[in-house]
Amino acid sequence: MSSSQEESLVENLKALFKDNVLETKLPMSRRLFVAVSPDVYEDVIKFLVKEKQVTHLSTMTGMDLGEKIEVLSHFFGLGMEITIRVAVPKEKPEIKSIVSIVPGAVFYEREIHDLLGVTFIGHPDLARLVLSEDWPEGEYPLRRDYKVQPPKPLREV
Amino acid sequence: MSSFIIPIGPQHPALKEPEHFTFFVDGEYVTDVKVRIGYMHRGIEKAMEDRTYNQGIYLASRICGICTEAHTTCFVQNVEYAMDLKPPRRAEFIRVILCELNRLQSHMLWIGAGGHEIGFDTLFMYLWRDRERVLDILELITGNRITYAMMAVGGVRRDITSDMIAKIQKAMDIVEERAKYYKKVVLSEQSIMARTIGIGTLTPREALELCSVGPILRASGIKSDVRADDPYAAYDETPFNVITYDGCDVYSRFLVRVDEMFESINIIRYCLDHMPQDPIRIKLVKVAPEGEAVSRVEAPRGELIHYLMGKGDVKPYRYKIRAPTLGILPSLVRMLTSRENYVVKIGDIPAIVGGIDPCFCCTDRAVKFIDVSKGKTWSCSYDELNKYANRRYRKVG
Amino acid sequence: MGVVNKVVNWARARSPWLLHFENGGCNGCAIEILAALMPRYDLERFGAVVKGSPRHADILLVTGAVNRQIRDRLIRIYEQMPEPKFVVAVGTCACSGGIFNGCYNAYQGAASVIPVTAYIMGCPPKPEAIILGAYTLVQKIRGG
Repeated sequence: MSSSQEESLVENLKALFKDNVLETKLPMSRRLFVAVSPDVYEDVIKFLVKEKQVTHLSTMTGMDLGEKIEVLSHFFGLGMEITIRVAVPKEKPEIKSIVSIVPGAVFYEREIHDLLGVTFIGHPDLARLVLSEDWPEGEYPLRRDYKVQPPKPLREV
Repeated sequence: MSSFIIPIGPQHPALKEPEHFTFFVDGEYVTDVKVRIGYMHRGIEKAMEDRTYNQGIYLASRICGICTEAHTTCFVQNVEYAMDLKPPRRAEFIRVILCELNRLQSHMLWIGAGGHEIGFDTLFMYLWRDRERVLDILELITGNRITYAMMAVGGVRRDITSDMIAKIQKAMDIVEERAKYYKKVVLSEQSIMARTIGIGTLTPREALELCSVGPILRASGIKSDVRADDPYAAYDETPFNVITYDGCDVYSRFLVRVDEMFESINIIRYCLDHMPQDPIRIKLVKVAPEGEAVSRVEAPRGELIHYLMGKGDVKPYRYKIRAPTLGILPSLVRMLTSRENYVVKIGDIPAIVGGIDPCFCCTDRAVKFIDVSKGKTWSCSYDELNKYANRRYRKVG
Repeated sequence: MGVVNKVVNWARARSPWLLHFENGGCNGCAIEILAALMPRYDLERFGAVVKGSPRHADILLVTGAVNRQIRDRLIRIYEQMPEPKFVVAVGTCACSGGIFNGCYNAYQGAASVIPVTAYIMGCPPKPEAIILGAYTLVQKIRGG
């Protein structure tokens, strides 16, 4: 029963968004990964939330893939975990914010902005979330090229 | 509306930095709140990329000292999903027992701390004394009280032997009897009811919209529990009830957690009686998954989710952790904001914030108030806010 | 003056007032410190009281790995404590950074930020270890 749920959702998405659904993966039951192009990202989320009643957003992950940064939105609904992934270029990491569709996404987008530098267009308040106030601008710890250095001690031990 | 000024200290007090919560108040009523977190940020996700999977287990268990088993279980499950590996059934049962013992001690810790937030220190002392029994059992099985090195990719590292089972059963009987007493206290004690009924309301629609998790969701009547919706380990076989209450307030959250204690005790008893005779671990030569996986478990505070991307290396390419308290934060902001027929008074803040079961150290952060009508700003520490709230409610009666 | 010093030391050692401050740690050590004050171990019967303000405290118990955001708070609290003051780093993270050694946001021990008098190792240290550490520190205070 469960694999037909996942497969029917994939068919539904492909019928609606055609070539904008770039890749789908089903590594195990109840875990679906769907890659979409940035143009339809907002529409796919709207379809999932409004038409399919998949309202629970578990979290959003940001991942540095070298030339691109990927934003993954993990939803839970219809008995499975659906991950929608969208890739943005690293030189101009911008994507539409989904806070108007899923109000619970507000802190997840802030975290990705803080740690990876992705701008979410339309987010109400992209202030710092987890890094300290004196963290230098433009340094994104979760990017692969960031060199990890523990903070310098303030006194001799 | 006449403004009320909390007479504590100068603008920037000598105590703690006032940037965690900023409350905008109009007199006694809170109108808006801004949250600033990051005091616990250590750089764990980046550190995971620099450690092998076996080293990562120990890092994962120290993300939170109270829900350690949830984080470690989630981690090893994630790696197992990515490697397409199923651990032996006995290991899954032992994982369930440890997760439920962890949930028991976490709920007991919280109910005591919750009692402390509303000024009921006797409950605090009683619960923490009884919690020691659960910690004794954990020490018997694993060797440590707080962080346990029990999980491994492919199973668990230590077995629950037959001489341990009798001791665990006895401890469960004692804890169940004490839990019945605490339920009676919560259902009949006027001081708890006065401070928690009708406080911190979150309607079911808001809870779903703001993607809330855990006991907060269940106290608003939504039947949602990862153990039932997305079963992992041995939860597909273990019978248990998903506890929900319709009150939508802090009192319902108390009741949900007390009832979950009974469910945990029953799950542990079931697992001890039905444990299969299997090996406890599949020994792996190399742990180097290729692919991605998402693992979800029900931590004591709510849904915990980890995401892993491995590229065939002994270290992960990307490891993402989302602890439950971050999922509850939007709901907390909503609960702390006054609107048309729902008012939040300053004295209610400790009960509401304590009611979401934040990680322990978070109860000691500082708060900052901005009185919009008078344009005044002041700050105080959380302890002082607590004392102020207790004094206000004692006067009211 | 020597006699007054001796009396003050005796009083201070008999009933040290503690302040617990949690940095960015996992809370394990914080829970164990609280457990040391709970009915089973009961540190309070020795006169040790946990206070809410640094201005009233003799001993500062520091737990957790110090991170950039909380570092200034820790320094400010340390400076507000009246002399003589003692700092006890409880748990491996406060002693040396612990498992968070090498992370981009964690200092390697509280001693990188404020002077530390005593170290109690453990991850987390059991309440018995915390009591032993407290006892050793009190003996040291008594010694002058």
